[in-house]
Amino acid sequence: MKLSIKEWVGPRCIIKEDGQKIYDAIHGLLKSGETVTLDFDGVSQFASPFFNFAIGQLLNDISEDELRRLLIIENLNESGSLVVDRVIENAAQYHGDKDYQKIVDDILEQQARESD
Amino acid sequence: MTQKIIQIPTLNDSPEDFLELFKISNQVNGRFEDVRFDFTNCWFLRSNAVAFLGGLARHVESLGGSVIFDWETLRSNSVRANLCQNGFAGNFGYNAKAWSGHSIPYREEMEPDMNEIMDYLTYSWVGKWVKVTDRLRDAISGRMWEIYSNAFEHSGTEVGVFTCGQHFRHHKDLILTVVDFGRGIPSNVKAFLSQYVDETRVSKLSGADCMKWAFERGNTTSMGGVARGLGFDLLKEFVRVNQGKLEVYSNDGYAIIDKEGERFDNCYISFQGTVVHITLRCDEKLYRFYDEAE
Repeated sequence: MKLSIKEWVGPRCIIKEDGQKIYDAIHGLLKSGETVTLDFDGVSQFASPFFNFAIGQLLNDISEDELRRLLIIENLNESGSLVVDRVIENAAQYHGDKDYQKIVDDILEQQARESD
Repeated sequence: MTQKIIQIPTLNDSPEDFLELFKISNQVNGRFEDVRFDFTNCWFLRSNAVAFLGGLARHVESLGGSVIFDWETLRSNSVRANLCQNGFAGNFGYNAKAWSGHSIPYREEMEPDMNEIMDYLTYSWVGKWVKVTDRLRDAISGRMWEIYSNAFEHSGTEVGVFTCGQHFRHHKDLILTVVDFGRGIPSNVKAFLSQYVDETRVSKLSGADCMKWAFERGNTTSMGGVARGLGFDLLKEFVRVNQGKLEVYSNDGYAIIDKEGERFDNCYISFQGTVVHITLRCDEKLYRFYDEAE
């Protein structure tokens, strides 16, 4: 399946609502092992909320290797590519169950050291 | 109800000037009252102050108060010309139409209208003053959107988001300030962490601690199982390549990203909301794609 992003959301891939639209269109296909091509021809502006929802979210239940095998991205310029790469890297490292207790303890420890 | 008269001093964009703005905000914030801003002592008003005062006025109005900018007290012709040119004066009762110049229009966004904001960033801001390819212009506008996205999504602002900018041709600086009167970043960070950690421990986090946490890649106060937290990361990377400056004031926290790195500090005057103040260098040699950054 090939999706023209410009036809689906227009020349700006910016907001999460548009990202969600793309996610809803491709998630089921990718889950069932189908190859999907996203064609960014004619899209000129990008921001992370769009990609977080369109692509980053896919990593919640599809492995990074599987995603890289099944999802083909075409005609995405350097600016968009940088955001996608960052989004995939961030989503791959994302854990909903971070140890916030330790995070706060570390910050307070650091704070105490600096005030000594 | 008595009218409160507040003097607007000469305001630039140093940290001290921002603290003056926060003092003004704290004089009126949260009170149901009528405010008159007096310009008698104002001989320069930079665009960050314009965005802030516009937002503050709308905030006071939303609380049931009224605001008058007393144009009769304005003695500086250059301040008057600037406020007319950027459209601020026309928004607040002065009979003048904005015109195109080195000012970048004052804007009030009640809703995150993506196309309107992106047009403003693309054509009235970066596209107007920095000579770069259309492709790079579009890339810069996309990075700036991250500021609006944060403001609308995380701040909980009830009166919208306020913007103003300026192009300084001698210094080759391009400035944009985005202000909201929402909860603020440290408040959001503390509320988020309190869901997982004892509140008394979380309350010990300083404004600087919270800002530092918010600026780390991947950290977000959003819930819902989607990885986020890249907005500031992408923005600061761009500012570093450009040798520009990104400053964020929020509650009692302050963050600055410039060519010397990133620093986080505590503000001794707390302000309810967030100000993002970005300065870019209009030197074509400093604009490269991010993947060209070393």
